[in-house]
Amino acid sequence: MVAAMLNGHSDTIATLVEPGRVHRRVYADPDVFELEMERIFGRAWLFVGHTSQVPQPGDYFTTELGRQPVVMTRHRDGAVHVLFNRCTHRGAKVANERCGHAARLTCLYHGWSFDTDGTLAAVPMPEGCAEGFRREAFGLARVPRVAEYRGFVFASLAASGASFEDHIGPIKSNIDDLVDRAPDGALAFDLGVHRYAYDGNWKLQVENVLDSYHVPFGHASTVNKEGVQFARREGDKAGTQVIDKATDQVADKAAETDKSRTSQSWKGRRSYIVGNGHGWTSNTSLDDGKRSSPAFDEYKRVLIDKVGAERAQHILTPRLHNTLIYPNVSIMGLNIHVRVIKPVAFDRTEINVYPVRLVGAPDAMNFGNIRLLNVTHSAASFVQTDDIEAFVRTQKGLRSLAGEWVDISRGLGVEEPDRELNATRASAMHEMAMRAQYKAWLGYMREAA
Amino acid sequence: MDGAAAIRPAARPSALGRAAFEDFLFAEARLLDDRRFRDWMALFTEDGTYWVPAVAGQDSPLNQVSLFYDDRDLMKTRVDRLEHPRIHVQTPPSRTAHVVGNVMVDAADDAAGEYVVSSSVIMVEYRDDHQRMFAGRQVHRLRRSGDAFRIVQKRVDLINCDSAFDAMAVPI
Repeated sequence: MVAAMLNGHSDTIATLVEPGRVHRRVYADPDVFELEMERIFGRAWLFVGHTSQVPQPGDYFTTELGRQPVVMTRHRDGAVHVLFNRCTHRGAKVANERCGHAARLTCLYHGWSFDTDGTLAAVPMPEGCAEGFRREAFGLARVPRVAEYRGFVFASLAASGASFEDHIGPIKSNIDDLVDRAPDGALAFDLGVHRYAYDGNWKLQVENVLDSYHVPFGHASTVNKEGVQFARREGDKAGTQVIDKATDQVADKAAETDKSRTSQSWKGRRSYIVGNGHGWTSNTSLDDGKRSSPAFDEYKRVLIDKVGAERAQHILTPRLHNTLIYPNVSIMGLNIHVRVIKPVAFDRTEINVYPVRLVGAPDAMNFGNIRLLNVTHSAASFVQTDDIEAFVRTQKGLRSLAGEWVDISRGLGVEEPDRELNATRASAMHEMAMRAQYKAWLGYMREAA
Repeated sequence: MDGAAAIRPAARPSALGRAAFEDFLFAEARLLDDRRFRDWMALFTEDGTYWVPAVAGQDSPLNQVSLFYDDRDLMKTRVDRLEHPRIHVQTPPSRTAHVVGNVMVDAADDAAGEYVVSSSVIMVEYRDDHQRMFAGRQVHRLRRSGDAFRIVQKRVDLINCDSAFDAMAVPI
């Protein structure tokens, strides 16, 4: 009944988002989730994977777009395709390994086999095919729109809608920021994947990516008595000053009295939005003069060799902490990785975290990053697990009908233009980025397909 | 490859007997179940590592991600956090029960005091109204130090190492 009420009634959806707040049903209503699968994941440009996951012809990588299984393939002409991973005969999922290599994708059930561009190559016992059966009509369906930028493959399940350029254009330079760090100007997603999941809505992770306000509290257990987080980049001796040095040992009291001791440098972080729900947070100042280790120094030398000292200096200056490319992917600029958000149900989400290999960088540099990423974003990490706990508790709390609204009003009305960056900026302690996400959310959701 | 050879116990068994190793593994598991993480860490040598791969049959902890890959420095950061009053993912704390069995001394060098011991491990974890199970094969590289063993490396290969896990906090 509620679904019927929501479906096709854009006005009802519009009532779920107000300036500075969103309704609890946005997270807690399975019917809203169904509509998201149709109207957001059914048509937005979604991150699929990276071309380096299918380096050779015949390589494939399976994933989901929304809930739909797809397979990204490399065809023998070098082209990358994104195909629906569903046999055109009786519907079985054709490719079942997370990644693999096959000259043809063959369905286990009746042996139909498909070329890596989706073409139906062979049907066993073709003499049994019905009169007028046309093999050409039975290729694996292609995802309607696929586009790539510097190895990042995106797809839209809708044949029409905003162009890739319109969608990704404003946030492209954030992809550049990461890719340019590779001496050879390319990334490779070949260092494995951290997979974690939680009993909570997918948007809780999306919001969290650009939420710097939570860090001194949510991640209190990651800072030492000096208020400093552990080192998260190769070559750093220590991490960020998150809270000011404790004058006593009573950390809990500090939070209760709102004398949070959040450090000035942390409070100085900014967040930026550029439309379409995209945005980023600036990096906290880390003392780059001191960043040094054998691996980092060698990497820096290689980078300078390739691009020159001035350009290398620019590349190595941290500008971005987290970038969100709405709705399903984020890039972390500190301990570099790409994070893919996969909605499973209104109260269940899977996250895939890919460390990126900087092609051309010394192995020790790339391996150092893997080691740090284990610590921050594995399912057993020091950082992400407390976020997950926050997501789980939020999903539980939102079962309550006592409060209908979730407040995201911090800094409402004090956002300011940043003409140099062609963006809108605010303190990262504010909730501008979430409001921007819900503006994009509503843009998708209120419009019938 | 000769499969039978691969699972045969060490050609030259340790004079210590299997029970000595079992006692050590049981005691180690007990420390984890009792949440005596700092004492557990002290079992490791200064160059010791704790590794839980995220890839089945993972060759190296260096070139692929792992669920855990802690040297003593990281282990200390982990234990500090486990003891921190505001570790939200351990509020309430996990309760665990380890079962260690099928212990085999795979390699023994009594003269050098170096051993490789493999065993099956099951850890049942209960926290916040949820109970779940981890299972796999673990390999301890042990070094004899006086009357005691120290862990040079503990590797736990979970049967579901490459699945999507809900948040984990305590070592297996």
